Amino acid sequence: MILCFVEGDELSAQAVGFARTLGEVRAVTIEGAYQPGAWAKALAAPEADAIVAAGSDRGNELLAHVGALLDQPLAANVISVDGDTVTRVRWGGSLLEEARLHGGPSLLTVAPHVHPAVEIGDIETLDVPDDGSPKVVERVEESSGGVSLRDAKVVVSGGRGVGSAEGFAIIEELAGLLGGAVGCSRVVTSAGWRPHADQVGQTGTKVSADLYIACGISGATQHIAGAKGAKKILAINTDPEAPILASADYAVIGDLHEVVPAISAELRRVRG
Amino acid sequence: MSGGIFGRRAWFLVGLVRNARPSDRPGTEAERALAEAEIVLGQRKLLQRLLPGLMHAFIFWGFIVLFPTIVLAAIDVAGGHVTTPEWYRVLSDVFAVLVLAGVATALVIRKAVRPKRFEGSHLGEADLILALIAAVVTTLLLWHHVGGKALAWAHLVVIGAFLAYLPHSKHLHIATAAVNVWMARTRKRGRLEPLRFDVPDDELRFGVATVADLTRKEVVDAFSCTECGRCQDACPAYATGKILSPKLVIMGVRDQLFAQSTEPIVGSGVPEEMIWDCVTCGACVEVCPVSIEHVDHIVDLRRSRLMVDASFPAEAEPMLRDVERASNPWGKPQTERAAWAAELGVRVLEPGDPAPEYLYWVGCAASFDERARKSAESTAKLLQKAGVDFAILGPREGCTGDPARRMGNEYVFQAQAEQNVATLNEQGVTKIVASCPHCFNTLANEYGDFGGTYEVLHHTELLAQLVDEGRLTPSGGSGSVTYHDSCYLARHNDVRVQPRKLLNVIGRPVEMERSGKKTFCCGAGGAHMWMEERGSQINVERVREAAETGAETLAVACPFCTVMLDDGVREAGAELRVADLATLLAEATS
Amino acid sequence: MRILCCVKRVPITGGKMVLTDDAQALETKHLGFTISPHEECAVEEAVRIGGEVVVLTLGPAEAEEQLRDQMAIGADRGILLKTGGEEWDAQSTAAAIVDAIRNEEPFDLILFGNESADAAGFQVGIRVAHALGLPVVTGLKKIEVLDGRVRCERDVGGARDVYEAQLPAVLTVLEGLNLPRYPSVPGRLRAKSKPLAVVELSRPEQKLEKVRLVVPEGQGKQAEVLEDARQVVAVLQSLGVA
Repeated sequence: MILCFVEGDELSAQAVGFARTLGEVRAVTIEGAYQPGAWAKALAAPEADAIVAAGSDRGNELLAHVGALLDQPLAANVISVDGDTVTRVRWGGSLLEEARLHGGPSLLTVAPHVHPAVEIGDIETLDVPDDGSPKVVERVEESSGGVSLRDAKVVVSGGRGVGSAEGFAIIEELAGLLGGAVGCSRVVTSAGWRPHADQVGQTGTKVSADLYIACGISGATQHIAGAKGAKKILAINTDPEAPILASADYAVIGDLHEVVPAISAELRRVRG
Repeated sequence: MSGGIFGRRAWFLVGLVRNARPSDRPGTEAERALAEAEIVLGQRKLLQRLLPGLMHAFIFWGFIVLFPTIVLAAIDVAGGHVTTPEWYRVLSDVFAVLVLAGVATALVIRKAVRPKRFEGSHLGEADLILALIAAVVTTLLLWHHVGGKALAWAHLVVIGAFLAYLPHSKHLHIATAAVNVWMARTRKRGRLEPLRFDVPDDELRFGVATVADLTRKEVVDAFSCTECGRCQDACPAYATGKILSPKLVIMGVRDQLFAQSTEPIVGSGVPEEMIWDCVTCGACVEVCPVSIEHVDHIVDLRRSRLMVDASFPAEAEPMLRDVERASNPWGKPQTERAAWAAELGVRVLEPGDPAPEYLYWVGCAASFDERARKSAESTAKLLQKAGVDFAILGPREGCTGDPARRMGNEYVFQAQAEQNVATLNEQGVTKIVASCPHCFNTLANEYGDFGGTYEVLHHTELLAQLVDEGRLTPSGGSGSVTYHDSCYLARHNDVRVQPRKLLNVIGRPVEMERSGKKTFCCGAGGAHMWMEERGSQINVERVREAAETGAETLAVACPFCTVMLDDGVREAGAELRVADLATLLAEATS
Repeated sequence: MRILCCVKRVPITGGKMVLTDDAQALETKHLGFTISPHEECAVEEAVRIGGEVVVLTLGPAEAEEQLRDQMAIGADRGILLKTGGEEWDAQSTAAAIVDAIRNEEPFDLILFGNESADAAGFQVGIRVAHALGLPVVTGLKKIEVLDGRVRCERDVGGARDVYEAQLPAVLTVLEGLNLPRYPSVPGRLRAKSKPLAVVELSRPEQKLEKVRLVVPEGQGKQAEVLEDARQVVAVLQSLGVA
């Protein structure tokens, strides 16, 4: 029996699809204030063949608790399973690891967007008593007023090539025209030009946009880790050898300071 | 009495020098003596501007010639008998008149012409000094031609007043300028003085935070400034609307020094923004008539702000971290460093390989920047064509540390220096050819302090040599080409002739006005390749000047200049092709 | 306050992943090293909170470099759990850290990065908390130490979830918590002589046993080159975003 924790989102539906390839799935969910320590106790089923969740923040956290409770190894962000060998993600996706999982139940979280989502079917709701471990006491809404980077359909992102905080004006302009969000690379936040909230990358936000436009970004693996969730990537760069081009669907070889305003101007023109 | 006032002040000033930290400006006695002859006696730097130069020369030479008259006047006053030879009387009259002419000229310049270089200077003080000088020679002339003890006394009284005032004013330079010229470096102008970190805590110095940290040369620099503003005029930052004026930096240091302030100089004597605006081009040092070396002050002020306070423009932080951790300022993987060379079959040295005749030091920019890369490719092809035995270090070539050092991060620089010197020495390298003038400067002038002594050529020097020797045979071009001298080549290292030899074979050269030693920076120096620029842009200003020559091509010899001026061309919409001399030569040779 | 920060030495990769011949590790011959970005923020936070800050790492002898770097920004001493350079899985790493912690006076706060930059197992901090019987909150972007407890925040897509936990506690943090400072040179020089305890360890049996590393395919896309703004807008329209 494959115990699969779901949350009614797309990643959970992907996780269930993946879990089904391992065996018969018992899908469970938990309601109420999030309390990972307590919730994990409900999921720690030593009789299961495997316990699976999505490789989301909560999924990884819950299964890590389960692993500690059962004293079993956890393979996080798995993309495939073959017997007792799993293939899992490292470096945000730029490297894969094949590893043998010794013990049982197998604890796995499923890397996002590697398995198609499925109809989940029946979901059991588990009752979980408060166990005194840390739980959410309050939720503070953020008055960000703008498109959230994580959910945006279009992201226009700037890197070192933008040159300064003021240089982002043209990035913001294009993002505005496309109803998208502004993103940036880690160099930009280290240089103090944009806040960390705008950072796309392995240690920043991972986007799931329809289109990611990378302007003046060379394409270090840590950045690609955050961008590759996008369906399509357009790179604007002066360097035809920049690593980002190996991950891009479209490219413009040119100076973003000329190209980006030109695109904005052309958009305005066709819109009349 | 005035002797007393003078003496007490002089004692105070000498004390400031003696208590200051030691400095080490390289040069030989012969070179220093030559500098004294040219700059002090010959007034060479001042005479670059003819009218003010002559004005000052008259006053200066006048003072030298007229000095004995003070002694004569004193003897006269003391009741002794004095017979002044006729020739000397005539000579002193002539020079006295010249001095008055100088004073008059100075007044005209200051009151009528009002040059911009005086912005920020204390003009009132100058007026008082000119008045005193006029009084000195007027009383002298009167004493000569009217005679009498009263006038001799008057002459002495005025001189006495002048003497008392002198060390309390910027006229102090008459005592200290010659000393400052002697102390200045006559060689390795591009070398910054290293700091020592392996010394006991009480000897540690992290650049200059307060006046207690100043070196002797820096103290004498501060004493010698006459607020003439030639440095301010030459400064590319000041010329493009930034607040940096080298003159105001030295004046700020001087004011703090005289006040014996315990406050940090940056923030009280010198505004913070000023020290970061600097591109270390050295134009200020080049024009200063009393051999003040402003760049050392600015870098020393940066050093303490950065290394002790960790306070510096945030946008440069990624560069500093990348130089230290990734061995190049862009954080690119070192494994990619030789990617450009792979297709050309350039030899990459492995540990244990025999050293080539020339180690080609490519530099980070040419290795990683797509515009600068062309120059490395062209240089490699030309060296291959000429049959030169050369190789590159590839992934083992680490950043020379120049941007970190110029930023003020001496610590990270030294780590890079030690590592590179170890690599070069283990490899048995003796001759190096470098594409980038910054690498060239550091390898040639600065690595010697860390055990690395090599014969270093800039790529234009080697290429010019190969053309001379007939190992490269370019067919000349006819297009007009102007040449932008890199600061780190032309000014800091006197490499001006060989690039021009190459220019002659690739086209029709036409010079810009600010060329050679007077070159105007591209704006990337002093780690500005990684910092934001306030005001209008230095590179755009330089491109404007280049475009005015009407040339089709703007030739450069530096990867930073390539990128900055190419950006400037796009920004200004100019019709100029920016290309490295190696690329142009390769095109003329294929 | 006594705070322990656990960090991991990781290579600074660039645009490509290159493996050693035996596919067991990244080829690090010409790479520089640092600690995971989340951990840099953890150490910075610890130094800001104040008190005695100890940095600990499980790694090869060279990892001393990373511990000295953290001492340069204000950590007071370091603990190196020295391995032979081979990788340890999350369980054995956590167990070794727990042993080291038990040899110390109790800590008020134990900080981890949410996940390491390389292996990204997401679990070492949680395992350590369980073993020590301490509360644990992960993925934090803000920490406030109050009287005997800590109030901390976590991003949840457009909002912040607030947790509270009694001290002592284990917290794992994310980059963006703060902006780590640049070390001063006097700090670096002092760090050279700050105390560093070295414990030699040998690796136990691995429950998540690495077989080999693989560079994924698809790192060689052929981007379609667009010539001008018109073509770009045509593509934008075809994607339905224009």
